[in-house]
Formats: sequence, structure tokens, C-alpha cells
Amino acid sequence: MHTRTHNITRLLFVLPSMLVVVSLLLYPVLSSIYFSLTNRHLLRSDAEFIGIQNFLDVLASPEFWAAFQTSIRWTVVSIAGQLLIGFLAAIALNRIRHLTGLFRTLLIIPWAFPAIVIAFGWRWILNDVYGFLPNLLTGFGLTERNVSFLSNPDTVFWVVVGINVWFGSPLFMVNILAALKTVPKEQFEAATVDGASGWQRFIYITVPHVKKVVGLLVILRSIWVFNNFELLFLLTGGGPAGLTTTLPIFAYRTGWGLQQLGVASAITVLLLVFLLVLASLAFRLLNHWDRKDAS
Amino acid sequence: MNRRLVRRLSAAPAYAFLTVLAIVSVFPLLWIVTSSFKGSGELANDPIGFWPTAFTFDHYTHVLFELGVLRNLGNSLVIALSTTVVTIFVSATGAYGIVRFFPRVGQRLTQVLISTYMFPPILLAVPYTLIMISLGLINTYAGLVLAYLSFSIPYAVWMLTAFYQTVPIEIEEAAQVDGAGRFRVFATIASPIVAPGIVATAIYTFINSFNEFLFALLFINNSDRMPISVALYSLSGSEVLDWGAMLAASVVVVVPSVFFFLLIQRYIAAGLSEGSVK
Repeated sequence: MHTRTHNITRLLFVLPSMLVVVSLLLYPVLSSIYFSLTNRHLLRSDAEFIGIQNFLDVLASPEFWAAFQTSIRWTVVSIAGQLLIGFLAAIALNRIRHLTGLFRTLLIIPWAFPAIVIAFGWRWILNDVYGFLPNLLTGFGLTERNVSFLSNPDTVFWVVVGINVWFGSPLFMVNILAALKTVPKEQFEAATVDGASGWQRFIYITVPHVKKVVGLLVILRSIWVFNNFELLFLLTGGGPAGLTTTLPIFAYRTGWGLQQLGVASAITVLLLVFLLVLASLAFRLLNHWDRKDAS
Repeated sequence: MNRRLVRRLSAAPAYAFLTVLAIVSVFPLLWIVTSSFKGSGELANDPIGFWPTAFTFDHYTHVLFELGVLRNLGNSLVIALSTTVVTIFVSATGAYGIVRFFPRVGQRLTQVLISTYMFPPILLAVPYTLIMISLGLINTYAGLVLAYLSFSIPYAVWMLTAFYQTVPIEIEEAAQVDGAGRFRVFATIASPIVAPGIVATAIYTFINSFNEFLFALLFINNSDRMPISVALYSLSGSEVLDWGAMLAASVVVVVPSVFFFLLIQRYIAAGLSEGSVK
């Protein structure tokens, strides 16, 4: 009798959080898969089962593939930039002796920005009439007239990637810095005595110590950037001419603009499947590194 | 002496690089703050000047009281606070339960968390929209809070699990011998020990739900109920964009975010590198 109440208490502790995961995550995902097989409309409650028709339509649509390509470019270039800047900043912070706390604090600030302020702040700085940067460039004579960075097809992609790198680098920096602190100083000193160059020390001592954290960061942040809707939606609305329309924005337009929730579900299900496949491959690689290190 | 000088000079590129990064990192914040105190004429005519020639609070009074953004700010506070309270209660009991009663689940928890992290918010948005419509939760605080629990609880459980793992079991056993029940041990012994972790998790949850945009955009379309993020977005859609007002509102949103974020920064990064991720 005693053990029975004991078991119930145990379950009571974890039940609410399990309930949330099941009802707010698992159930919605399963029902999305179901909706993707229907012609569900946003405002009509009747829906017919139409099999894989939505998927066939989506996969035959050039807009889907354009958005898919944009999503991949946006994710890969942004993450590469964040990793590069974050890594360099972490190494620099690890190298200096004074003002470390001040630099760290200042460099973290972009991470705390809400998406809406990232968007307004940068749209204000880049505004082609009142903005600081276009006027500065024209003032210095670098541009003849103010460039409209966020609506010019030649510049928009690199500008939004730049903003994403500005926003996302601190997270890489903080985590890589924490990993760098675990590198034993003796190894470094021994290698220096043995005549290893700075580059060799970096490749043979630093990289092995941080690569697991870096790998995990790259996977988690890639998922985040790939799934992110608001950054681009608020900065460019997906424009100009659809140049920054990623899959989440494309799904939003289909589901809430055109009100075709069934088709939108098919797009988001494809997005999830793509992420699951890619992430499982990436985790396999991480585990492979782990095993190699262990042996 | 000479070697010390060489060492100092060799760190110079690191200082230079960090200085450049620091300027780029901080500039947008400084720029929107100083701009928000400039008069409309100055905003239009002097796009490069840094310091306002005449300080004015006009944009703040205009956006908060005349455009009614104060109300939206209140909505955001209510929604974020409710999300935080529910999240902390559910996640703290959950994390404690996992650590004490289901430790083997705890070891797999990161994997579970990462899988839930993979669910695109836009994918969850479709079923959520339909559920909210059928339950009449569109344009309600409750609907939005419910949606926010989906991303806040898994993360909070993960963060708190790491904290409860640091509580020595001997302390709890001593209390149990004295006859304290499981819940009392959790509430009066284990939780006070990890109080800093709970506060950090609460602040993190609060910031994230305060700043959320997508679900708020989809589930709230009545401007009286809108949280600040969506209210600002809908203001920005008006014919002539009032930059002064937008900047003042942005400052009101971003300054507390930055402040609280810096307060808890050392807790956020802890998990990934200290080996709790396997």
C-alpha cells in the first residue's frame, strides 16, 4: 500500500510536464500530418481527405523550390558567419587579460534583442532617406546616392545575413569561450616547448577540445535559423520580389494569406522531415567523433 | 621585461578586433536610444548626428499614451507573467521528478528536448489555430499562454534538471527521516537550494514569451488585446511610418530585455559546455 501511494506521488511530479509535451507538441505534429492530407481551409470547417495531392502540388511548385533554396542559403551562410565571428571573438576574449568582462558584456548585447527591435532598429539604421548608414556612405562619397539596402535585389540577401550574423554570433562566442576554458594550459605549454607553431597548437589542441560543442551549436542553431519566421518577415516581409522568402514565410502566406491550411501543413511537414533527416545525419557524425575520441 | 612587452604587443590584434566588434554590437542599441530623444525635425534633417541637439520625450508620450501602446505593454506583461508562473511550477516539479525518480529518463532528456526543438513553430501554428478557433481562444490571453507553454516548458525542464542534479540527496534524506512528505521536501528543501537557477529560468522564460511574435500575430487580431510585439508591427503597417514613435516604443521594449538578459547570461550558456549534453 505504501509503495503504491509512493509511485503515484512520483508520477504526479512529472505528469504535468509530460502532459504538456504530449498535448502541445506530439498531438499537434500528428494532426499537422493529418491536415496535410486534407484540403482544409482556414475559415471552413469541412475538409476532405485528398491523399498526397497537397504534397504533389507543393513539390511541383517552383515557388516552393525557390523558398527551399533561399532557406538553405540563408541558413548555411548565416551559420557560417556566426560561427566564424563567434569563434574569433571567443579566441580573442580568451587571449586578452584586461577588460574581459566589459568586452564580453558588450558583445552579448545583440543576443538580447527581440526580433521586432532587431527589425526596426536595423530598418531605421538602413533607411534610404533618414538612415545613418546610407547617408554616411553617401557623405563619404562611397555611394553616389543613398542605397536602399533592404529593397535592392543585389544587396538584400547579404544585408539580412549580416544582421543575422550580428544577432547570432554572441551565442556561439559564449559557448565556444566556455569550451576553450576547458583546454588544459599544460598541453599548450608542452606543445610550445616542443616547438609547435600557433596554427599547429590550434589544430591539434584547441580544435579537438571544442569541436563537440561547436558541432552541437551548429546543429541547434541551424535548426533555429531554418525554422525562424519573424526575423525575415519583419525585416523584408520576404521581399523584394520574393528574394528572401524562406519556407516558414512561404508556409505562412499559403496558410494564412491564401487560407489553404492543408497545403500549408504539407509545406511544414516537408520542412520537418527535411530537418529530421539532416539532424539525424549530423548527430551520427557527432557520435562518430565521440567514439573516435573514446578509442 | 622585454618578453613581457612582446607578450603585451602580441595581444594587440585581439584588443583591436574586440573593440571593432564591441562597437558594431552596441551601436544599434545606442543609435535607437539617442534617436528616440530627437525631435521629428532633427530625425528627418540630420541623419548622421549622434547626440540630440534638443532632448524631447514627445515620442514616448505620443506612442505610450496617444497611440495606446501602454495598454499593449500591459498585455505583454500579463501574458509573459502568466506563462512564466505556469512554466516554472510545471517545469520545477517535472525536473525534480525526473532527477529523483526517473534518472534514466534524465539522461535521454537532451535528445527529447532537441527533437521538440526541431518542430517548426509554423508547423505547430496550423493545428494551434484550428484548436483556438474551435475552443474560442482566439484573441484571448489564455490561448496565447497555452501556445507559449509548448516552447517554454521543454526548455525550462532541461535547464532546471541540471540545477536539481546539484542538490545533495543526503539533505533530502535527513528531512524525510523527520517525516516530511515528498512535496514538502521538494518545496522547502530542494527548491530553495536551486533558487538562483529557478530565477534565471524564470527570467529567460519571461523574456522569450515577452518577445514572441509569430503566435501572437496569428492568434490575436484585436488591437486591445495585442501584445507589444504585434502592436508595433501593426503600427509599422500604417501609411506614413512615424519613426519617432516606433523608436521610442522599441527602446521601451529592448532596454529591459537587455538588462535582464545580462543579469542571467552566465546561467544560459552553462548547459552546452559543462557536459550536460550527451
